[in-house]
Amino acid sequence: MSTAGQEFLRKAAEKSSDLVHRGIVRWNIDQYDTGVGKGKTRFADWSAARQRCHDIKWEGVNHLDKYLLQFEQKVKENGGHVFWAETGEEARQYICDVAARHGVKKVVKSKSMVSEEIHLAQAMEKMGIEVVETDLGEFIVQLRNEPPYHIVTPAMHLNRQQVSKLFHEKLGAAETLDPPELVAIARRWLRKDFFSAEMGISGANFIIADAGMLTITTNEGNGRLSTSVPRIHVALTGIEKVIPRLQDLATLWPTLATTGTGQPITCYNTLMGGARRAGEVDGPEEFHVVLVDNGRSELLADLEQREVLHCIRCGACINACPVFRNIGGHAYGVTYPGPIGSVLEPRLLGFKEYQHLSFASSLCGACTDVCPVHIELHHHLLHNRRNAIHEGTHSASERLGIKLFRWMMMSARRFRFFGWLGRMALRVIHGMGLEGTVLDPMRPWTKDRAAPAMPRESFRDLWRKQNGVR
Amino acid sequence: MASADNPSRERILGRIRAAVQTTAPHHDGPAGQMFAPVTDPLERFQKECAANITECTVTADTAASAAAIANVLASVPPGEIFAQDAPELRALVSAFKDGRPLRWSSEGPPNEASQATITLCEALVAQTGSVLVSSANGGRQATVIAPVHIVFAKLNQLVPDLEAVFARVYERGIASKNSYVCLITGSSRTADIEKILIMGAHGPRRLIVVLQTGG
Amino acid sequence: MPKVSLFIPCFVDQLNPQVGMDVVRVLRRIGYEVDFPEAQTCCGQPAFNTGYWDEARPLAERFVRVFGSAEVVVSPSGSCTTMVKSFYPELLAGTPLHDDAVKLGERVYEFTQFLVKVAKVTDVGASFPHKVTVHDSCHGLRELHIKQEPRELLKNVRGLELVDLPYGEECCGFGGAFSVKYAMISAAMGDTKAGNIEKSGAEYVTAADPSCLMHIEGILRRKKSNARTIHVASILAQTAAAGEKASAAGRGPR
Repeated sequence: MSTAGQEFLRKAAEKSSDLVHRGIVRWNIDQYDTGVGKGKTRFADWSAARQRCHDIKWEGVNHLDKYLLQFEQKVKENGGHVFWAETGEEARQYICDVAARHGVKKVVKSKSMVSEEIHLAQAMEKMGIEVVETDLGEFIVQLRNEPPYHIVTPAMHLNRQQVSKLFHEKLGAAETLDPPELVAIARRWLRKDFFSAEMGISGANFIIADAGMLTITTNEGNGRLSTSVPRIHVALTGIEKVIPRLQDLATLWPTLATTGTGQPITCYNTLMGGARRAGEVDGPEEFHVVLVDNGRSELLADLEQREVLHCIRCGACINACPVFRNIGGHAYGVTYPGPIGSVLEPRLLGFKEYQHLSFASSLCGACTDVCPVHIELHHHLLHNRRNAIHEGTHSASERLGIKLFRWMMMSARRFRFFGWLGRMALRVIHGMGLEGTVLDPMRPWTKDRAAPAMPRESFRDLWRKQNGVR
Repeated sequence: MASADNPSRERILGRIRAAVQTTAPHHDGPAGQMFAPVTDPLERFQKECAANITECTVTADTAASAAAIANVLASVPPGEIFAQDAPELRALVSAFKDGRPLRWSSEGPPNEASQATITLCEALVAQTGSVLVSSANGGRQATVIAPVHIVFAKLNQLVPDLEAVFARVYERGIASKNSYVCLITGSSRTADIEKILIMGAHGPRRLIVVLQTGG
Repeated sequence: MPKVSLFIPCFVDQLNPQVGMDVVRVLRRIGYEVDFPEAQTCCGQPAFNTGYWDEARPLAERFVRVFGSAEVVVSPSGSCTTMVKSFYPELLAGTPLHDDAVKLGERVYEFTQFLVKVAKVTDVGASFPHKVTVHDSCHGLRELHIKQEPRELLKNVRGLELVDLPYGEECCGFGGAFSVKYAMISAAMGDTKAGNIEKSGAEYVTAADPSCLMHIEGILRRKKSNARTIHVASILAQTAAAGEKASAAGRGPR
């Protein structure tokens, strides 16, 4: 198994037996589930919402060239800059160059998962630039030197005690278990950053072709301040985020809010199409959009998995995932945790290192059920598994085992004989009290669970007895 | 930027063009109405405001609006007030003239320490109890920076739902005339700590809509 | 007499033979002739789910041939039924047996769905005086949309008290090879499920999938819980008649 795979196993084992962690995540997701349940009742027809979202994203993704060019042209007409980055490295370089050109010393960031994907903050910090995350959850995990735990709720794994201690240690704030006071501490602390930063970096929930605008969705207002006060605004987005028309947001905004947090609509849905124009009171002097490919166009070329690009990053599949509920977001060791990440990351980072993520799922399909854009997530996990096997990522012994399994199952007589042999062997071994020990061939199962009783007779034996051999 | 500076552009576009030669299967399903139609916009708007924690005051005329705004300002701590420089708000100026400094958007963006901002809006949305603002409403910071944001609106700005508000955006060129548009629903909030809802994260703690039906 | 062919998944054949016998008993009781094509082995799901589609394909083709002439096929596993109904068309795409597989898929039913939707029977005359809760197995629930069927059948069982299972739709953590390859995650999911079963206050947890039950039973036993698992067919097979002995509640001797 790859290094990343071994690390995954280690962290997953650690987290899955951590009952405190399991409790915190469960609490959070229970709140989320209640909210989403209530949120969906606001829709006359939730399935219609999902269908429309699918239609919009399908249209955008299947005509990606047309809509990206339309978007680019509009942005340029309004004086903005558009840069196309094939890789994370290229995107980082471009943004670092813009920062260097303007002598940027401080950057305020609103939430952007693409910036995590391309490790932007680390690159800018290397240049001596201070990068401040301004979303409260992101701010908290940044202070802890951790990546976001969840794409929508970055600090889901922490309770108020931990946040209080963190603010005390890192910000010198008085300890308090009062959540409003904790929020106030962050507000006071970040205010000065909004007003001293020269550059604001945002992501984009959608980029809108016909308007040449992008939209960001936030509750706190940090995204608005980050894109209003600093001199430069850089928006970083995946190429797949493009949608055809402004009015598509009448569908996407409420749906994203509902599956993201259970809200009818998020507090601030902001549209930005450029720098401050003549006659406007304020706004940045420069506006840059960085369109990141980083493997997406390859996914686009795969007809079977193209729809994975429909993802609107709402986090619903992550919350629904029973694997996530037990191992949490950090164990995955990648930017996007949960089902969408287990589909996407092995594709973006390579099966050789990351195929294990596609296998670490019971394929229960809860993710597919909740996806607002109808991505068949658990089927894509199956496709990834098949593709990984074709790439030869698995051991020769496993391949041999499967071949033997097939050989046995291609004959009812062989199946009956080996089945009998196995049951009898296990009856003896378990009868000797060796169940669950290292001498138990069933140990991968019996290490964590009792073995099923091994019956003397199989069903076909009983059937023959009852009905005679034909 | 010249495309020569960005050779990746053509490479990415080339790959995209090659890929989308073939269209992916489309998931077909019934696409009915997502939401029940809004029958009484004013009633719905007030109901939604109550739910999303927007303080909505319906007034009959200019005098009542001025009184409503003055009433809000009376509860705001001492400090500067910022207002969008618009004739409608100049007409209500008596309400803000309570002795504290008043800064108009024509003088520049609000100071960070502004205690309240007063702006107009582009539209109100009944379905969600939202306020649509743009950079024309006193700039970008005007609607986010102060702890209190007061919006003065007229009844003809109220549209039933999100579909209708986008129709208005197109019709009036709101997205093409302005570099910045924001649909505001309630006051700033966060639930990032233990999923507990806290009001007033980075934006206004209070959002007040004074909705004038007559005059 | 209408006839059905039994599809007994390989692990049911080997490890839960009584579940198969209970299916036979119920089907005969409601008037069906039951056939068991003995050439059947495995539907290929273990290889398919672990990515070995090339190894799964011959098994799928074999299955299509074995059941080719069957009018109706009934199986006590939602998961294996899903393999045939939902995944064979994709696995066999472009092969000569594809169309046969699609047609066969239309004739394959999970046991409870067959009883309620095809045989139109919701009372099979069973008696089981115990407190029971239902775990909704994932494949059955999400691929075959089985939700009400087992409940409708259980409601008509004499003496049975049906109680709600908190988070009943959450996966138990079995997941085939996942349960041994990622055993710690699987066991944690099972532990959560077992905790919820205990919270439900049920004596028995039932499901339409023996694989989930085998995993849950293993976890419950390891936790020394008093709750036990039982396949829905084994509940439906039990009658109040003194002569008809409960088949060890669908479990082996232990």
